[in-house]
Amino acid sequence: MNPTRLTRAGLLAYGILTLAFLYLPLVAVGFASVSKSRYLSFPIRRYDTGWYAEALASDTVRDLLLISLKVAGIVTVVSMVVGFFGALAFARYHWRFRGLFQKLILLPIFFPQTVLGLALLMWFNAVDIVPSWHTAVVAHLVWISPIATLIIAIRAYSFDPTLEEAARDMGCSTLQILREITIPLLMPGVVSAGLFAFLLSWGNFPLSLFTTGADSTLPEWLYAKMVSGYSPLVPTVGILTVAGSAALLAVALIAPSIVRMWRRTPQA
Amino acid sequence: MNQNVILQIAGLYKRFGDFTALHSIDLKVHDGEFLAIVGPSGSGKTTLIRLFVGMDEPTDGTIWLRGQRIDTVPANQRPTCMVFQSLALFPHMTVGQNIEFPLKIRGMKPAERTARALELLDLLRLPRSYHGKRIHQCSGGERQRVALARALAFDPEILFFDEPLSALDYRLRKTLEKELKDLHARTGKTFVYITHSLEEAMAMSDRIAIMRAGKFEQIAPADDIYNRPVSRFVAEFMGEVNLFPLTVEESGAASAGSFTLPPRATARFGLVAGDPATLMVRPEYIGFVGAGTETEPDLSVRGRVLNEFNLGSRFQYEIEAEDGQRLTVETQRDERFGGAIGDTVTLGWAIDHCHVIRGE
Repeated sequence: MNPTRLTRAGLLAYGILTLAFLYLPLVAVGFASVSKSRYLSFPIRRYDTGWYAEALASDTVRDLLLISLKVAGIVTVVSMVVGFFGALAFARYHWRFRGLFQKLILLPIFFPQTVLGLALLMWFNAVDIVPSWHTAVVAHLVWISPIATLIIAIRAYSFDPTLEEAARDMGCSTLQILREITIPLLMPGVVSAGLFAFLLSWGNFPLSLFTTGADSTLPEWLYAKMVSGYSPLVPTVGILTVAGSAALLAVALIAPSIVRMWRRTPQA
Repeated sequence: MNQNVILQIAGLYKRFGDFTALHSIDLKVHDGEFLAIVGPSGSGKTTLIRLFVGMDEPTDGTIWLRGQRIDTVPANQRPTCMVFQSLALFPHMTVGQNIEFPLKIRGMKPAERTARALELLDLLRLPRSYHGKRIHQCSGGERQRVALARALAFDPEILFFDEPLSALDYRLRKTLEKELKDLHARTGKTFVYITHSLEEAMAMSDRIAIMRAGKFEQIAPADDIYNRPVSRFVAEFMGEVNLFPLTVEESGAASAGSFTLPPRATARFGLVAGDPATLMVRPEYIGFVGAGTETEPDLSVRGRVLNEFNLGSRFQYEIEAEDGQRLTVETQRDERFGGAIGDTVTLGWAIDHCHVIRGE
């Protein structure tokens, strides 16, 4: 049965309302970031983009961006590598402790992040490691690399093992199979895992709060400034953070078509 | 045909835990022949082919290729190649990249390997424009040809096939069977082909090896397997068949239930009293004996027509003999039985068309 016009209009309205509910708060932060007033109040009386200039010129903000970028960047790369091999163990090979491995890998995701953060902080103290953004990388990895593994494992499950056997039959060494067959076929999974890893690390607050020590990431700073010392610099930096994520997603969306175009150009 | 042995196995055993997949088997494959290994699923044929190409190791026994032991050589160093049931075409590569893959691994220059890939596309009657196509843009039959081209690019000593046609529809399978036989003739390579389909094996191969429960039951040319099977299993596996258990009496005559084999026939088959044996007659050798039949057939049976099946080029009949035994009879279309279902008929056939299977 075809939906009537009324049903279709109703569904459209429902969709729009859902999107509005999800994204209007973000728009509100956007408005707050261009307010001239020091205090958060609506409606905004006078608009000013001065806070963006100040944010971009500020050493503090630059340091925050740099630390968040370093943490997210390292977490992304390590998660992709660990997740790749983890996914092979998770989905591709049959080995004795695979069942146990598949359950253990889920544990960090089931712990509330605050508990995980606290546990890691106590652990770092116990083994005399001074917390800094380096320890935050470790903390993020404990939580994010299992997620990356699961994302790549979905891809690895649909992987036909006879492809590797065929490659070996045609003379490939183990390393050549990895380079020619396994990595290219799992690459889409590895890329999405990388995207998730970056976004999850970039926006993470609870783990960073416990484990960055004297350093501070963007979400931590935002929280600290909200609690004390609010200025429109807070929504401004917030919007800059969102812009970072959005830029990454945009690249991820456009990249495949660029790769396709590049492939289509005949190569001599 | 050249009778040089290219591949030989002796005392090959394969066990998986408590399960013995192959029981000490021996085989010689001749250079340039098309050998089909046929058996029901679970008979060990896939296990055997995996041992040949090195994807599994034998528990015991030896494999020689042109006199060199290869059972200890890793798969990637054996000069053999296999076409997989799933074809195992690399989905992230184009048709050309797939065909060139073994050459790339061998370190051949891009220009040379592209030239070779185009030659192979010609050989397999695929348009040269397919070189840049993606695998998922190819039809089932085209994929088969790409997989073959890739295997031929490897230029193996022996080409192994693991039921590559089993997933295709009937018409396409028939076409590809012909192409494969033709390709075998044109390339002169040794083909070892695994299948569970008698038809496929009969249509293509020079020799057929029948496998059952991890052993070879019979290895012989297709005609011999069809007309002179060594066991009931082979007889029944290779198409429709009439089997009559024989009781050889002191007089030399043998009773087959609904008819009796005269002493001259039992003497010809070398049967003596007490020998356990089964008489086999293929359905197409049995005919209806009517008023117009000039000579008396060697053997005859009276029975009732139970059913008629139209097989297209032939007709098949189910007949119940007077003692209740069921017979299958096939005639050409123009020799179709004229009467009705339920009619009583006389069937006849020649002793020359009988075959005796010894043993229980």
